[in-house]
Amino acid sequence: MTSSLAVKRQLWAIFGFGVTVLILMALLHSDYFELVLTQVLLWAMMSLAWNILCGYSGYFSFGHAAFWGLGAYTVALGLIHLNLSPWLTIPAGAVVGGLAGALIGFPTFRLRGHYFALAMLAYPLATLYVFQWLGYQEIPLPMKREAPILYMQFADQRAYVVLALGLLVITLLISLRVENSRFGMSLFAIKQNEPAAEAAGIDTWRWKMLALMLSGALAAMAGGLYAVVLLVVTPEAVFGMLVSAQALILALFGGVGSLWGPVIGAVVLVPLAEGLNAKLGDVLPGIQGVVYGIAIIAIILLAPEGVYWRIRDRLARRLREPAPRATIGVALPAAPRQSRLPTAGKDLLVLRDVSISFGGLRALDGVELRVPEGGLYGIIGPNGAGKTTLFNVINGFLAPERGTISFAGESLVGLRPNQVCHKGIGRTFQVVRAFPRMTVLENVTVGAFVGAADDTTARHMAAKALDRVGLGARADALAGGLTNRELRLMELARALAPQPRLLLLDETLAGLGHDDLDGILGAIRQVRAEGVTVLIIEHTMQAMVQLVDHFDVLDHGRLIVSGTPETVVRDSEVIEAYLGKKWAEQVAVAAK
Amino acid sequence: MTHKLTRRSAAKGLAVSAAALALPTIGRAQAKSVKIAMIAPMSGPWARQGQLLRMGADLAVADTNARGGIKSLGGAKLDIIYADAGDSTEKAKNAAQRLVADNPDLVGGTGSWLSSFTLAVTEVTERAQIPWLTLSYSDAITNRGFKFVFQTSPTADWQAAQTVPTALDLAQSATGKRPTTVGLIMDNTAAPTSFARPLREGGFEKAGLKLVVDQIYTPPLSDATPLIEKVRSAKPGFLLLLTSAMPDCKLVLEKLDEFKLSHGKIPLVGNGAPFGSPELLKTIGPELLEGMLFSVANWPMKGQEEFIERFKKKTGEPFLTQDALCGYGHPAILAEALEACGAADKIKVAEAIRAMNLTTGPAAHCFPGPIKFDEKGRRVDVPMIFAQWQKGVPVTVFPADLALATPVWPSV
Amino acid sequence: MTSFVRRDSFTSSIAVKIHDMPGAGALYRRAMPFSLVDFLQALAAGVLVGATYALMCVGLGIIFGAMRVINFAQGDFLMVGMYAAFYLATAGGLSAFLGPSGGPIVAAFLAGPIVFALGWLLHRFIVARVTGAGAAQTEGAGAYGQILTTLGISLILQNGGLIVFGSAPTGIRTPLSRSSWEIGDILLNQGRCVSFLVSVGLAVAVYLFLGHTRQGKALRAAADNSQAALYMGIDVDKAHRVAWSLGVGITAVAGGLVAGSQSFQPYTGFDFVIVMYAGVVLGGLGSILGAFWGGLVIGIVQQMSTLILPYQLQNTAIFIVFLLIIFLRPQGMFGRLSERT
Repeated sequence: MTSSLAVKRQLWAIFGFGVTVLILMALLHSDYFELVLTQVLLWAMMSLAWNILCGYSGYFSFGHAAFWGLGAYTVALGLIHLNLSPWLTIPAGAVVGGLAGALIGFPTFRLRGHYFALAMLAYPLATLYVFQWLGYQEIPLPMKREAPILYMQFADQRAYVVLALGLLVITLLISLRVENSRFGMSLFAIKQNEPAAEAAGIDTWRWKMLALMLSGALAAMAGGLYAVVLLVVTPEAVFGMLVSAQALILALFGGVGSLWGPVIGAVVLVPLAEGLNAKLGDVLPGIQGVVYGIAIIAIILLAPEGVYWRIRDRLARRLREPAPRATIGVALPAAPRQSRLPTAGKDLLVLRDVSISFGGLRALDGVELRVPEGGLYGIIGPNGAGKTTLFNVINGFLAPERGTISFAGESLVGLRPNQVCHKGIGRTFQVVRAFPRMTVLENVTVGAFVGAADDTTARHMAAKALDRVGLGARADALAGGLTNRELRLMELARALAPQPRLLLLDETLAGLGHDDLDGILGAIRQVRAEGVTVLIIEHTMQAMVQLVDHFDVLDHGRLIVSGTPETVVRDSEVIEAYLGKKWAEQVAVAAK
Repeated sequence: MTHKLTRRSAAKGLAVSAAALALPTIGRAQAKSVKIAMIAPMSGPWARQGQLLRMGADLAVADTNARGGIKSLGGAKLDIIYADAGDSTEKAKNAAQRLVADNPDLVGGTGSWLSSFTLAVTEVTERAQIPWLTLSYSDAITNRGFKFVFQTSPTADWQAAQTVPTALDLAQSATGKRPTTVGLIMDNTAAPTSFARPLREGGFEKAGLKLVVDQIYTPPLSDATPLIEKVRSAKPGFLLLLTSAMPDCKLVLEKLDEFKLSHGKIPLVGNGAPFGSPELLKTIGPELLEGMLFSVANWPMKGQEEFIERFKKKTGEPFLTQDALCGYGHPAILAEALEACGAADKIKVAEAIRAMNLTTGPAAHCFPGPIKFDEKGRRVDVPMIFAQWQKGVPVTVFPADLALATPVWPSV
Repeated sequence: MTSFVRRDSFTSSIAVKIHDMPGAGALYRRAMPFSLVDFLQALAAGVLVGATYALMCVGLGIIFGAMRVINFAQGDFLMVGMYAAFYLATAGGLSAFLGPSGGPIVAAFLAGPIVFALGWLLHRFIVARVTGAGAAQTEGAGAYGQILTTLGISLILQNGGLIVFGSAPTGIRTPLSRSSWEIGDILLNQGRCVSFLVSVGLAVAVYLFLGHTRQGKALRAAADNSQAALYMGIDVDKAHRVAWSLGVGITAVAGGLVAGSQSFQPYTGFDFVIVMYAGVVLGGLGSILGAFWGGLVIGIVQQMSTLILPYQLQNTAIFIVFLLIIFLRPQGMFGRLSERT
């Protein structure tokens, strides 16, 4: 989420791009050049549409041809059977594409990663066969001599350039809007770490569906105009693998997840391929494919994330880092969502008989836990004891087979993670995955969405959270340059941004050196002093002993000891769990 | 501010270089030569077909020029430009647009083998008013009301209406009996679909045939077992094969052999030039192909023997097929049209083609029936050619006046 | 002036469309169930075809299981295997030496090491840079690079194949492709039966290699947790290279086997990519056994779907099964559900 100045710059860039295209078109008046230019613009739009879903959210789709093809056939069949003009059917295609996105999204978003991508692969190809079966092998768009303009049939190819440019600019503007709204930030968060995003209160399913529907609608419109330009629609031409691959290649080449990446990809690769076809096609048939393949590989080896990012990173390194921002002095608007009446001592989080198994393994076995409001409780145990599982159950990633979990009197069982967050529970994760190219403030703002009605409030809450953990001075620094300690603090700030009542810290102290440790411990103590209840998982005793009020020790899914740090440290069961029976016996002997 | 300029100038620079690629690199002298074009797939899955078309076209242009060029234009040489239609309709259209933009003096052209490519290419050539000849026989090509597109193959409808009765006549004259049942195996590409439609819509009934096997598959075929299993149980009097891709032909024919239905057990009638391709011979071998009949729009005929030998010697191909023959014939037609109208003007050439009624000459030599087109651009009065594999060579066997061998109706 | 004339009114055009619908007549007539012979024949065909699919899937499965890479070029390595077998059988004299039946089979086998070597080189110089340890630093762990690289390799192999091999479809001549053994009324194609045996044998060999040899175990360790494997002294990069080369080599052998039954040209690879992916996902990403069974099931579905669906929708049936499996049991038949957060 960039500042409004940056957004203005992007708008100017879009305007400049449009003007450049028009100037080019006016200067080089040739039917052929205009056809290629139209194709560049259409493929840029398709790739941008793909980017909205896949580049931003990380959910790779190998099947965007489904939308393109649906858009193309909407126009073709609309013209042939219903005599509808493409002026109507291209926007209609957007509706078809959006609906298709919804239909596809419902079942397919249950999948992740590679499974999702491969499932998406199946849709356009299945549709291809169906269309062939229906008898739509080749559909030429009929020539309308009587009212050509009414049917989008222009003698002057430049009209198509203008139309394609118009659609592309619309897509660019939509992408820009998405990038700079919580829609986009949520998608980025999903890409970084979907469970963390869920735990931070982001309704991942909703945003993913929206992204797919938007992506599908835009791709369908591009396909519709493509049909008008090509004048012949065949199932292979619009549903084939080449279409999906093209959308992918352009975006990956140009810079996936960026506004201009797909455009760069289209501007470079489409004319390149066409030029290769033109010059080498009849010289040595096939050589153009080889050259194109080599070009793609070479570029991706040199710029693995795409041309745009490569260039931007180079430029960013040369520019100076902005001066540290002064601590915010603006008054914070609106009270936090829930009124916090510190009923110190009253149990905030209560777990009773919580159990869960994986296969034959009992991960949690009848766990009982009571965390009073304002307490700083630690959960420790050897590896594999079930600590993270416990958090996952509280958070809503896993459902317990037995037992109850209540928070401020309300049950948490059955709620989705983002709903749990909404109730006032924040969580950090072991592996901190930040957005390296965004500022610290932007990273933390993602966590604030759940508690803020609009984006400005979210940013304020994020700034406040950064101050709380003592990272306020680094708010405008790029997250990629943070130290380990600063990263942990940032993660803490992110969890704090929506002002939760309970904070679940998952091995926040792991692997920190002595100095860094002090800093984090200080921040945690500060947070508790402000009234937040903290439940912290740790593996090592030493740091925790100084920090917490109370220990709960887990071993093999069972709570074996619960009490103050002093009692727990000396307990023989705990020693046995951590160090083994032999040690426990030795200590018992020594204690006698 | 630096960001904005970098992006803009980068975009500009890239676009200008793209434009440079698009501009023609060689300027050809106008005088003393007349330009025609061929757009065919030279790379991609159909590259072989483009290669054959090109072989024929090269020969035609060489022959024309050897004869003294276009005499009515003062001996102007015929000059042919090739463009690669590639592997997609988009590439075909781009090739056409490029050709037209780079060569405003084009007077005619031919291509592009695959009917969807032809459709895309002719959208461009029609708007550029360039007369275009094609061997593709999908009816959509000439159903668009275009004035500059000429189909030298009869339409699929017409071919279907001719093929089945002729096959039955052949059967009757050879064995005295007319088959009463027929099986149909086809893929769902455009040409077989348009061929089969009129047959299903009453064509079979009119010929007194009952359709006992009706199987359509999506190419490429993975295994022909379920198809031939149905043939085995239904035992049709003959099998109509509309498998347009050679690999699918191979699977079907070998499976028929495996099920002991080949060598005349069930007579085979195909449609389309792939049934006579040298690749088929190389991969299946002559014994399985022996006796297979197929109807095709154009095939080497009586009177072309010398030409066939010349072609074989020049190209090394084992025999002449429709692709190379039409590849030769289309430039020949254009040459005749140029000769007739006496001007290197595409409109006049188109008119000359429309007015044509050739029965002699190098162009007419290449096609059965007179070279005459109706107002839709379709040929009229064209006899359907039947070829048959005999001793490892597919030879024309029908009609008798064009045949190079006598037909046999396979029987056990 | 002729304007484009097709049936004008909407309803009559729909009627024509349905009537036109190829196979619609056949659909209606197929209210009758199929015969037992039809059923068994289709099953037999499915199993025989499925065996070579299974072997292809094993190759892809090894790559995906060990490297988590979606290799878009897998179908093109298959194609290279077909051509390798073809040239070994004809120009290499194997058919002449070992007879027209045996030659192609040995040629198919030998295509494996050839493509193994090709894969080795490609991995060493290109693929390693965008996968595994080499790519761990970049965003998405190099996923983008992998996709584009394998797409680029696919383009190079296809078009390079066109240049080197020519465009005319070709195939290996063998009498096995048109002879069959008979069990009652059921015919079993001999060529496919031999391919079946070879496929099963090779798959078993691979399974044993991965399970019981040191190199194989190293591969599995690297696949499971490359970080830990590195710490234990396993050369993960080499393990990946072996996995990649083995994967493409196995698929190439499958290609060589198919080359005896079907004709092919340089762009054939793509036709098999879908089958391979469907099979691997069906069987469970990361499981070799699963990949084998997945490929087999795909073959069976493909051939047996013709009993109830129009022949044209054969591959759609594959997709339907593919999607059903992904939704109902995403880990496939034998895969593991967990993926690290």
